[in-house]
Order: sequence, then C-alpha cells, then structure tokens
Amino acid sequence: MRPDHELTLMLRIRFHGRGGQGVKTASRILDTAAFASGFQVQDSPVYGAERRGAAVAAYVRIDSGPILERGVIDRPDLIVIGDETLLADGGAGVLVGQQAASAVFVNAPTAQLAAKLETAARLVTLDITERTLRLLGKASALSSGLAAAAARLIGEIPLEQLESAVKSELAELSLAEETIERNVALAREVFQALPAIEFRPATGERPAEQAKVVRLAYDPPLRSAPTILAPGNAAQRKTGDWRVERPAIDYERCTRCGLCFVACPDAAITLDEKGYPVIDYEHCKGCMICREQCPLEAIETEKETRSW
Amino acid sequence: MVTAQNQKLLTGNAAAAWGARLAAIDYVPAFPITPQTEIIETLARWFDAGEMQGKFVTLDSEHSMVMAAGAAAAAGVRVFTATSSQGLVYAMEALYTISGWRVPLVLVNVSRALASPITLGPDHNDVLAARDAGFVQLHCESCQEVLDTVLMAYRIAEDERVSAPVLVNFDGFFLSFTREPVEIPDAEAVRAFLPRFEAKYPTFRASQPLAQGAAVLDGATYTYFRYQLHHALRNALEVHQQAADEFEAHFGRRYGPVETYRLEDADTVLVMAGAFASKGKAAVNRWREQGRNVGLLRLRMVRPLPDRELVAALVGRRAVGVIDQNLSPGLGGILFHEIAGVLAAEENRPAVLRSFVGGLGGKDISSAEFDHVLATLDGAKTGSADPELLFTDAEWRQMQQRLAVAGKSLEAATP
Amino acid sequence: MRAKREFYHSPKDLPAAEFLSPGSTLCAGCGGLATLRLMHKVLGENVVVVDAAGCMTMLTSYPYTVMQSSWLYTSMSGASAGAQGIRDALDILLTQHRLPETDNLKVLVLAGDGSTYDMGLSATSAAICRGLDFWYLCYDNEAYGNTGFQTSAASPLGAQTSTSPGGFAGRKKDIFEIWRAHQPAYLATVSAHEAVDLAEKVRRALPLAGPKLFLGLAVCPTGWGFDPANGFEIAKLAVETGVWPLKEFVHGQLRHTYIPSRFRPVVEYLQPQRRFRHLFEPQRRDDVLEQIQHNVDAYWQRVATEAATT
Repeated sequence: MRPDHELTLMLRIRFHGRGGQGVKTASRILDTAAFASGFQVQDSPVYGAERRGAAVAAYVRIDSGPILERGVIDRPDLIVIGDETLLADGGAGVLVGQQAASAVFVNAPTAQLAAKLETAARLVTLDITERTLRLLGKASALSSGLAAAAARLIGEIPLEQLESAVKSELAELSLAEETIERNVALAREVFQALPAIEFRPATGERPAEQAKVVRLAYDPPLRSAPTILAPGNAAQRKTGDWRVERPAIDYERCTRCGLCFVACPDAAITLDEKGYPVIDYEHCKGCMICREQCPLEAIETEKETRSW
Repeated sequence: MVTAQNQKLLTGNAAAAWGARLAAIDYVPAFPITPQTEIIETLARWFDAGEMQGKFVTLDSEHSMVMAAGAAAAAGVRVFTATSSQGLVYAMEALYTISGWRVPLVLVNVSRALASPITLGPDHNDVLAARDAGFVQLHCESCQEVLDTVLMAYRIAEDERVSAPVLVNFDGFFLSFTREPVEIPDAEAVRAFLPRFEAKYPTFRASQPLAQGAAVLDGATYTYFRYQLHHALRNALEVHQQAADEFEAHFGRRYGPVETYRLEDADTVLVMAGAFASKGKAAVNRWREQGRNVGLLRLRMVRPLPDRELVAALVGRRAVGVIDQNLSPGLGGILFHEIAGVLAAEENRPAVLRSFVGGLGGKDISSAEFDHVLATLDGAKTGSADPELLFTDAEWRQMQQRLAVAGKSLEAATP
Repeated sequence: MRAKREFYHSPKDLPAAEFLSPGSTLCAGCGGLATLRLMHKVLGENVVVVDAAGCMTMLTSYPYTVMQSSWLYTSMSGASAGAQGIRDALDILLTQHRLPETDNLKVLVLAGDGSTYDMGLSATSAAICRGLDFWYLCYDNEAYGNTGFQTSAASPLGAQTSTSPGGFAGRKKDIFEIWRAHQPAYLATVSAHEAVDLAEKVRRALPLAGPKLFLGLAVCPTGWGFDPANGFEIAKLAVETGVWPLKEFVHGQLRHTYIPSRFRPVVEYLQPQRRFRHLFEPQRRDDVLEQIQHNVDAYWQRVATEAATT
C-alpha cells in the first residue's frame, strides 16, 4: 500500500520507559503500522542492563525513502516518555536532543509538567496509565497506548493500520485473544483522544554546542584499569524510581520480628535502634516480598505517587 | 660481565625456564602441550626441590590456566606461564580478559602450527592470532635471546607506563628442543636489573576493597578502556628501549624492537621473524659473497609494531621481501600486510614490496627457496600483495604420492 | 523433620551487617540476590567475590559496584580458575610475609546455573579436586537468565524457555551429585526463604578448609513468570512439594536438613509459574505432570530407603 503522500522529512521517534512496560513492543507497533501505511521503517530497542524496572529506550525511524541512519537517535522529532519518573533520572537521558524535537509526549495525568519541563517542543500529555489500568487491569502494559499516542501525533498513520499492528505485534507475544482485543480498544481510545502535530525538520536548528573529536591522551593504569575503588557506591543509583507501588509499614501492628528485613533482596530495609524496620524508599524497587513475608500483614501496599 | 665459562648448552625450553627462575617468579599455573611441556616440567622440578619459592599448580585447561595467571597477578604476585598453539587459542578469551585488567605477567608461547590439520611442527599462526589480544609480543631467534627476553619482559610488563602482560614467542623444535650455548646470568646481577616483585597497582586485600573487570554498558566507556591499553602498548616501545639499555649495561647483550643484519648498503632486504631468521642471515652471507648487496631485517617486536624502526630500515631500498611463516587464508602473509601498512605513507618506500609464505607447519625453507625469493625480488619491477608460496617440486611430488596412498589419486578423484 | 539448629534459631539471630549496598540493577525480587545477601552476612567481611558471566555480573557495572567486598569478573567458564589464582597468590604472599594476615580474604565464586552446570564445570571440578580453599555459590534460576532465559543444563523437565518454547523435554542435571562425587569439604543446597537453614549451613562450613559449595534455588520472577512479591512463596512451594531438597554433605555424610512431613502435590508449585502454564492451558498435560511428580516421588523414595538401611 502506498501512502497518500510522501513524507517531507524523516520522522525520528524515541520511546522511553522502564523494563517491563512494553517500550520495545510500542516501538514495534508503531513501526509495523507505519510500514503497513506504505512507509520505509526501522526500529530498534536499546539494550543495556535488561532488567524489569530499569530505564529502556527504543528508536523508530519512518521515511518515504531508504533510511540510511543507524543506532542512536540524538535528534528526535518526537520523544515519547512512558514513565514520567524518568524525567528525574539524568542517566535515562529522555530529553537528549529535545531542542530538535517538535513534540514531547509524556504519559501523565495532568499538563502541569509544562511549567517544569524546559523544552521548546510542544508538550503533550495524556494519562495512558489510567486507561491501561481501566481497560487491561494492569498498570504496566503500556505498549498499545504509547504506540497509539505516537501514531496519532505524527499524523501519518490511519487508525485502521494502528489497530492491525496492535493485533499482529501482540499476537507475536502469544497474548490471549481477549487481551489483544482490549489492547486494540485501548489504542483506539488513546488515538482518538489526541491531535496530530505539525512536524518541523529536526535538522533546521543546530544546537549551540557541536560535538568535537578530541584526542584521548594516555592515563596511568590506576585510572585506566577497569577497576572501581569506591565500595558500595551503587547506593548512588536511586532504584526507588522503579516502583509502581510501595510498601508501607503499619508500626502499630509491627512486632519487630525482623522477617521483612531478612527477606528484602536489595537490603532496602534496615532496623532502627529499637529494632523497627525502616524502608529505604530511595532504593526500594517495590517487589513487595516484605509485604508477603510479614506474618501479621502489617505492611500495606500504596500506589506510588508521581514524582512530579 | 660476560664470560664464556658461564655458558651452558640449553634448549629453548630450558632457557625459558631459567628466565623464569632468575626472574624470581612467584606463581606458575601450568598446563602441558607439545612443544612447551619441558618448560613446566623443569619448573615443577625446581619448585619441588625447593630451588624456587612460591607455587606451581596444574590447571584443567589453558583457558583456566591463563585466567588463574591473570587473577594471581591481580592479587599481586609475579606470574609465569607457558603454552603453545591449540592451548594459546583455547585460552584466547582469557588472553583478552586479563590484558584488559592491566596486570603484568609473562606468557611464553612456543610456536606450533594450528589444526586443522593437527600437527606438531612450528609456524607463527598461533602467536599472531593473539596479536590483538592486548599483550606486548616479542619473538626470539636464539635460546640466549629466549632467556634474556623473559627477563626483559618482566621489566616491561611491570613498568607503570605499560602495566600489561607480555607474550614471549619462540619456535617449537628449532628452538624448544634445540640446544645452543646460553649464558645463564648470575642471580644477583639479575636482581639488580629486575628487583623482586612489588605490585604498584591496587591488589586484592581486605583493607582496600577493589572491584576489577567491571561490566561496561556503553560504547564511550568501553572505548576509553580499550584505547588506554593501546596507549600502554605504544609506551612499551620507549620502555623496551630503556630496559634494553639497562640490559646491555648489565649483561652486555643488546636487543632492539628489530634487528638489522648487514643492512648498511643493501638494496634488497628480507624481513623475517623467529628462528628461521638465522637461515635468512646465512642466505644473506651467501649472496654477499656473490657480491650482492642484500640484508635482513628481523622483526623482534610485533606488538607494539615498531613502525619507526621499520620505516628507518626499509625506506630507500629497491626491494623488500617479507617471508611470513604464517598464512591468513584469503589474504596471505600477516606480517607483510602490517609492514605494507606502515610503509604506505612513506615517500621513499621500496618500489618492490613482495610477500612470501613459507615454513608453514615446520616446513623447511631451503637455500633453493631463499634463492627463489631473491630471484623473484630481482625480477620484479613493482610490488604485489599476492603471496608467493615457497613449496618445492620435490615436496609436491611427495604430496602427490601421499594423496595417492590416501586413496586420492587423480584417477580415483575423477568420476 | 528439621535438623537441629546449632547457631541460629530465628531469622533475627542472623548477623545484621550488610555487605551489599542497595542500588543494583538486578530485577526487583531477584532470588539470587536474596541468597547472596544472606550468605554474605554469615560469611562476614574480608571476601573477594570471583564472578562468572551471568545475571550477577551486573552487580558491578562501571562506575558502580554494589559490593562492599572485593570483586573480580572473569568470564563465563573461568571463575573457579580465577579463584585458584587469587587464593594461590594470597597464600604465597602470606607465607612469605609479604601480606599481613589481616589482609587475607575468603574467596567466593559466584556463578549462575549456566556457568556452573556446563561451561564452568571443568574449572570447578579441577578446583575441588585440588582441594582449593574456596566458597562457591551457584544461584540456580534454571536457565541462562542474563541472556533472556534460554534452556540450560539446569532447566527442569517441562519448563518453557525461549529455546524450548514447547517445554524442555530433558532432565535437570544433578550437579549436587556430581560435586558430591568429588568429596568436597562441604556441600549444601539452600533456599533464601529458609534463611535460618541457609545461615546454619554457611556457619557450619566456616571453620572448614577446602571447597565449600552452595547450590541455591534462585527464584526468578522475570524468567519464571510470577509477581515478584510471591518469590518466597514460590521458593517455599519448591521445598514443600519436594522439588528442591534441602540437604548438606559434610564430613563424608549426607543428610537432609528439612523434610516436609507431608509433601504437597507438585502442581501447586508449577501452576503459579508462567513457564509451566503450557502444562495446564490450553490442555492439561497430565503425561508431563505425572512424570514430574513421579521423578520427585522417586527421589524421596530413594531417600527414605537409604535412611531405613543406615
């Protein structure tokens, strides 16, 4: 099928999320839909530490002609952020190249981000998580919603192709028929809730600093051996951002049995001087093993409040 | 001071073992393979007799052996180990791993051709397969040089500017099992040249927790670490020079990254490495007697590649023939291509630069074949990357007989 | 039946000190991490961990390390050889008074089942036979986990992995028996949900010289397919159904440290895991389920027989 018109410029879309949220699948749904709409496409996930909860990204390129780019998209036209807590995570780099972007989409309940986010791009928000939870029963299966948001915003992909792509990509994941149907409904709802955006060429504006090639000089082996001389410095990594829910201890019921402290795989629970467990929310990943291990059900689940 | 009475008849293997002994090494993780096994047998005897202090242990494979070697060096002891051929390539993953840790040690490789087909005869494909593994790489021509190079290798490896492992190579059979007069330096004199080992880098100890070999998840970080290893190996040129100066001062023998033989007015130069360079020198002498101005350049240091010395020795010559005792199938001789790369930018590079492949699997390079090399160089007007295989008619006749015995005569082969 | 406690009677008795910092990039609810953390508490300070390629390699990813202890990443198959090198070097330095005893380290090999059961077996077998004084913790999540959960020699019958999409048709290699044949100084299976049992075993092994080998069932929410919160419950079911025996081998004697008085049916352990779902949906595969139950029953029958004849 040939598209109704040629693209005037290559569209580069960068998805961001956390492992387990379906970022890779979202990128594939978008790409498949674009391909079915007659465009040339390229999609690739960014492989790093493949872990549920860790920051992940995926790249999609859509064009009318052959795509001669590979790898990192550092000048995205559209940034899709599936997990807003990544905005506070410098390492995730969700806003790298945003000067080039025409739009930044954030999965968030309100638009009050606009004041906090420094970007010349148009900021679009929609609560995909709420719709995902409502229609799928799981807060983390964001792939269809994110793909639908991107598909609608870039304006070149008919709803029909999007729905088709949702079906075929989720079938590859061996999801049940019924689940796929609900995903299609979710995609449709998101698609219809958003407008199409005008995209200006990303190449139009060069950022102020250009990368320069430098000479990498010799460093003595104390520095240049792959050693780390700072034991336990991983504590600087705030894995608390991974959570979608958090354990909360009811100290009225806690009898200081210490089972939660023993069970936490990440050593994110310590015992205070009186022997009461204290949860380190900067690092707790929200696995909730502590809740399950507590013999008195003195640990409750709280939905994670948004960082923004 | 050098005196003749200090000389003993030693095989290359024995010389290597003496080098390790004089270097007062602490640890030998070992695994046997022909043709290096005598090295570790000798060391095992000396440890057993209490003539060496430290530990000798047999591992389950060369891969394990090299891993143990690197880990022990990371823990702060002076390590020696040896292998050949199949063992070296079996350990290939471990070679890259431990060089990346930036720890010093000496690995002796006794060159032997690689399977398939399996053989015991020597050539240089095994050691050259390791040329990208991050080790300094030195090739020896004589048993004396083997002993001396092991000592120098520790000086180079342990210098802070290098802090990387060193691979010392010598040919199986032609050196490993061949006895020559070797001066065994006095232990005290060696101590003055190579003090007892004390790690200058953080090692594993309870008072200073250290994570070594961390995983790296992005390309820029990886690039940094790998390129620093390159810098370290380039530093080895200068460090080798200083070590060679001191070695000469202590022991009277001079080694460079290359050895020049009768190059002064040579218009034609052969380039070789290893024990067969002696045969090359004999051919040069023969031709000189016939009035020809031919010389030989022996490549002793392969990594880092001594580009300046190669250029100095080879520019301005009319013809250069590189005799590779190795073969990269689909390409030709490995050292030829490295040298051609070094010379490519030089204005006065030789008009004739030719590649010869010989001595594979321990095959002899006869005087007739050397004459053929010279005749080819004489007759050539331009260079060529096409390798010329040195293989005689007698050898071909013999091969045809073997093919026939194996049921592969031409008549049998045609349907 | 539960073995008499020697050192610890409740989880509260475990040493409080932490040797791993939070902030790792390992999955939330990682059973392997839980096991390592508990083991290290009892092992104490002055440890160097020698790691084989696997999930735990991510504990140290530049420039961060979770370890308060020292760490050496070697390769997929080379950890036990690396351990040999470090142990020998430390011993040389100690013997020659080039290192104070206070700087001595316990050497702990940390390897997944992928490395342990196959590629690393050569180096480990040799190290055990040499009587190397080292610790070994295999975190067994029954697949090559770090690469996306492919079949390993530790995968059990019926488990679905990315390279056995129809369910693994082979059997789990008995690495415990292979190690036991080497007559190591100490050998035990552990599970993080049985913290006291685990701690007792590490403590019992502490004064022993030679190879001290631990095989830990590492429940894996990512690979096995369950809510991380249920990790300890799944581990408990593994033990209560008899799938994962808790046993130790020391001073030449083998004993089980816990035997359920009544075994629960194996399906209770299998059903909550997505990797076994294909045995229940769309059709119940009674042939495989019965085989799995039979294999478990046969093991415990042998145990009972041996107990009766001693």
